[in-house]
Amino acid sequence: MNDLAAATAAPLTGAATPPKIKVRDVHFYYNGYHALKGIDMDIPEKQVTAIIGPSGCGKSTLLRIFNRIYAIYPKLEAKGSIELDGENILDKDYSMNRLRTKVGMVFQKPVPFPMTIHENVAYGIRHHEKLSRADLEIRVEQALRSAALWDEVKDKLKQSALGLSGGQQQRLCIARGIALRPEVLLLDEPTSALDPIATGRIEQLVEELKHEYTIVIVTHNMQQAARCSDRTAFMYLGELIEFDNTEKIFTKPGKKQTEDYITGRFG
Amino acid sequence: MSGSSKEHIIKSYDDELIRLTGELVRMGELAVSQLEAAIDVVDRRDERAAQHVVHNDDAIDQLEQEISHDVVRLLALRAPIAGDLRNVFAALRIAADIERIGDYAANVAKRSIPLSMAAPLTPTGGLAYLAKLAAEEVREVLRAYRDRDAERAYKVWQDDVELDEAYTGYFRELLTYMMEDPRVITPCTHLLFMAKNIERIGDHATNIAENVWFQVKGEPLTGQRDKRDLTSSPEPVKLGNRPE
Amino acid sequence: MSVIYVRRHITNIVALALSGVATLIGLIFLVWILWITAENGFSAISGSLFTKITAYADQGGLSNAIAGSLIMDLMALLICAPIGVLAGTYLAEYASSTKLGASIRFLNDILLSAPSIVLGLFVYVIIVLPMSNLTNGAISFSGFAGSVALALIGLPVIVRTTDEMLQLVPGTLREAALSLGIPQWKLTMQVLMRAAFSGILTGILLALARLAGETAPLLFTAFGNNFMTLHPLDKMASMPVTIYQYTNDPNPALHAIAWAGALLITLFVLALSLLTRIMFSRKKVSYE
Repeated sequence: MNDLAAATAAPLTGAATPPKIKVRDVHFYYNGYHALKGIDMDIPEKQVTAIIGPSGCGKSTLLRIFNRIYAIYPKLEAKGSIELDGENILDKDYSMNRLRTKVGMVFQKPVPFPMTIHENVAYGIRHHEKLSRADLEIRVEQALRSAALWDEVKDKLKQSALGLSGGQQQRLCIARGIALRPEVLLLDEPTSALDPIATGRIEQLVEELKHEYTIVIVTHNMQQAARCSDRTAFMYLGELIEFDNTEKIFTKPGKKQTEDYITGRFG
Repeated sequence: MSGSSKEHIIKSYDDELIRLTGELVRMGELAVSQLEAAIDVVDRRDERAAQHVVHNDDAIDQLEQEISHDVVRLLALRAPIAGDLRNVFAALRIAADIERIGDYAANVAKRSIPLSMAAPLTPTGGLAYLAKLAAEEVREVLRAYRDRDAERAYKVWQDDVELDEAYTGYFRELLTYMMEDPRVITPCTHLLFMAKNIERIGDHATNIAENVWFQVKGEPLTGQRDKRDLTSSPEPVKLGNRPE
Repeated sequence: MSVIYVRRHITNIVALALSGVATLIGLIFLVWILWITAENGFSAISGSLFTKITAYADQGGLSNAIAGSLIMDLMALLICAPIGVLAGTYLAEYASSTKLGASIRFLNDILLSAPSIVLGLFVYVIIVLPMSNLTNGAISFSGFAGSVALALIGLPVIVRTTDEMLQLVPGTLREAALSLGIPQWKLTMQVLMRAAFSGILTGILLALARLAGETAPLLFTAFGNNFMTLHPLDKMASMPVTIYQYTNDPNPALHAIAWAGALLITLFVLALSLLTRIMFSRKKVSYE
């Protein structure tokens, strides 16, 4: 029997895309609690990978290992290997500075820095690179344009970023992240605090950004995963239950647990 | 089984899906009884009863409207996915097939009116046999739909070949009559159309079987199916060669 | 109306009445205090209050006390604000979940509620006496010692507010900065401090308001001085101590000057509070 989902999705997701991140047997513990139990997955390059699952399934935890942001808290421990372009980022020798310029992150709540709109974007660039004033201006504009925010803020770059709307703030956070020209963009429930219009803008942005970045998005909103991802991973109780083309997951999931979760039969 | 045996967290969602299945099964039963009623009036040459059958088709159309409405409502309000989506999608398509089955049954009843005006020169037993096969097929596929039984649907899908063969046989039989006695050409032509209608009902039953398969398995039912309706094959039907 | 509704209605009225009366009692005393201070103070305010020194007694003013208070309050603030802000930052950013941090917070809370006279005696023992011994009595009580005592009053307030204000900054702001590869020290100084700026400044102003009214810590440290001095190692006059001394004097003319001084301090604290309010209202946009 031929596989309709795979056949029609082939040009979209294409098994030919090389994995950008290779997750191998990743375990995670906090305070002794076994939060991730041996995750194996290949995140394809320049595609959107969505991670869904109920609260506490470990999806955010997994995302937070990808840039090792978890390491700022005590008593957290990750085991296994996560290869980014073939290098294990969990390796102690892997430079944190390098990792964080390669992997950007956007959080659930929009958290612009208490600075001007311009400074928000320029701040990270300035820390990592010594650019001339003119070059910096170009980079800031590029980042704001990429985040589809430039037209809305170009006349008030010197105003506080805290005066922007929630949706604008979130796009500013995305601009701030892509200003460093990362290769991977991690989005942790980026629209859960936004209204449907602002959410739509972010989703449209994700669609545009995937041509240049490898995007991993954690979301509670199943329709959002369906709308804007190429591949979807379903996690439950710290395990990766199913990881497949999004179209397949949402029309004909392979595992009963996945089907129960996405159709609202979770009990 | 399609999707899961578990109930939705939101109970009313389950109620709506169950209601949809119920409506479809009811609609299908109505269509089958229409077909049987149509054959009955052919047999009894009852013009008024035939009018009644034709008129009854409105009830099926009405049900189809309701199902369409329910499907749109479910799509809009519940945003079904995975098994639920296939469930709703299949319901919409199956409803369209049943509606066509009802139309064909009404057509048979309609043609029985001019038929009963002509002299009862031609036997209608072959037509009744076709109708019996078709009704059985539709009933079976409805059972498969109700029970979400893909294997049962697959069997119906394959067994449609019997109806095709019976139709081809009846076709030849009628041709033979017409060649023997030109006076029966008119009633036989009516019978031919009626037989073709019944044969089409079988095709819609296989469509339903395909949708049941898709709903349960999440993939289209493909593969080579025997088609024994040879009446349109380039090879001319051999005349006078009545099937035993 | 059902019984339960009537009962709730009555309960509501009773609770409202009780809390209203309590508020009223508090307000009555507050207004009363302000009224008496204003009534007695305004009539005694004159030009000589700001130009003449206390040496002239009832013919004089408060100029040396005003200057002394301003100098000591400012010096105290210069001492306690940087230490307090840095200590608060340490507590919030580096020791928030450690045992050491918890113990420091506990000790700070004790300092916050320590009797101010104890702090005065402490400074007398660690600064006034050693200095006197070292200089053979040439320098003993001094404005500097007074400032240190006042700084000890303000310090726990600033530590506490800085700590709390930084903890109010959402954790994701830290994560956001760190995920850009910004190092911790830069994050603290350039992002978190800015985010908590108005709160921290409020804490400093609150500390200033608090120490401006303190008498006890100054008795054994700055002592008092009837003449004008701007030198930090001299004995120094201050508003609260002068008011304290004048109210103990049988001369009613001195009482009037004390009232005027009390009014001045009240107005100063009021002005500080208003300033704080304005700063907070101007910074309406924040992380909720």
